[in-house]
Amino acid sequence: MFNIRRISTSRWWHKKKSWILFSILLFLIFVRITKGSIYKDFYYFISKPFWPGHSQKDLLLKSFNQEYLIKLNLLKKDNIRLREILNLQESSNSDSILAAVISRKTGSWWRQIILNKGSKDGVEIGSIVMGPGGLLGRVESTSFFTSTVILLTSPESKVGVWMDRIQISGLLIGSGDDSPNLILYSKDAEIKVGDFVSSSPASTLLPPNVPIGIVQSIEKPFQAKKTAKISLLAKPQAIDWVQIFNLKI
Amino acid sequence: MNKFFTKKISIICLIFIPIIFLWHPNWLGFLGVQPYWPLFWLLPWSMLNGSINGLIFGFFLGLILDSITVDNSFTQIPGLLLCGIWFGRIKIHGDFLVGHFRYGLICSLGSFLCGTLYFMQILVKNFSDSTFLLFIPSIKNIFAEVFLTGFLAPLICSKLLKLFRFSRVKSIKINF
Repeated sequence: MFNIRRISTSRWWHKKKSWILFSILLFLIFVRITKGSIYKDFYYFISKPFWPGHSQKDLLLKSFNQEYLIKLNLLKKDNIRLREILNLQESSNSDSILAAVISRKTGSWWRQIILNKGSKDGVEIGSIVMGPGGLLGRVESTSFFTSTVILLTSPESKVGVWMDRIQISGLLIGSGDDSPNLILYSKDAEIKVGDFVSSSPASTLLPPNVPIGIVQSIEKPFQAKKTAKISLLAKPQAIDWVQIFNLKI
Repeated sequence: MNKFFTKKISIICLIFIPIIFLWHPNWLGFLGVQPYWPLFWLLPWSMLNGSINGLIFGFFLGLILDSITVDNSFTQIPGLLLCGIWFGRIKIHGDFLVGHFRYGLICSLGSFLCGTLYFMQILVKNFSDSTFLLFIPSIKNIFAEVFLTGFLAPLICSKLLKLFRFSRVKSIKINF
């Protein structure tokens, strides 16, 4: 009669390394689900001593004055159109939030900025972000202390825009470089270099008539479409302070 | 405490990669593009611990970096997975100069692979809109990244390799 007995019972759950690997995996899943908010909040604290100084605010106000002059002209024209068209989206500048840029990725494929105001300050997903000159992008995600903004130059960004001079709508697509592309779905649209591009008066995602950019170069029509490169008025690579506007839809 | 840091130095370095990725210092950029930071950690780690570890930690790195970027449609995981496997098959070279040159070349190729895979995802996503041609000029991002990654790799990878070797005996080594 043989007594069969296992001398050692080594299983994977007896190994300390397996549990370490499992806990790392759990942590990564947590990071993934929370969209990296733990990292962003940690970055908020360690980058705090290096945030831009308050003197930038004066520069910001000067730039906003120039921007308002352009906006005023646009609003006059828009007012006439509003007599004919109803149900345009309202936007209010009274509830803006001033925020500093604490992380800036304006090159390569990832074009985003992280701001030092988050959900605790009332920033919501979908809020628009403006810098001196015009629109920068939209808030894509928020953590308790920070908010991440997807820039107009990001390959994921697509917004409807309005060409005021020729009274035509187009689509602004970020392409991973500093100048996003404007697509006009009309081969005969007479755009010129220097034409002004703003947000569409009928947009539901953006407030009407927000300055965006100027036509930099025009390409040859292709498949009944006309494309142009747009030079943005607000330069995300140089801006330290921005304003966040929560939309009222 | 000091012993703990010595043992876990490679994992501590891994935790700081997303912070450097977010930091994005302008003075270190070329055409507004930064080096591809995760490869600087992944190369020495995979060379010391093999392809399987490279694959696992390539996946971990991809997960973290995808979490902190807002592009929901595209992922960095495939590039980092492939680099992890490939780097694990590379042996450490004895010659000082050749070894350093190899880090630069390998990281450049790795960065090219990751950049191309990411770019292909953008093209495929926009293929149906026939707007994918608009993205062709942004191919310069790949080349700027390849140049910078290859330029800095000999310096950073050799230091990290020394550091990881030093703490290797007591560090986490996962064998399957």
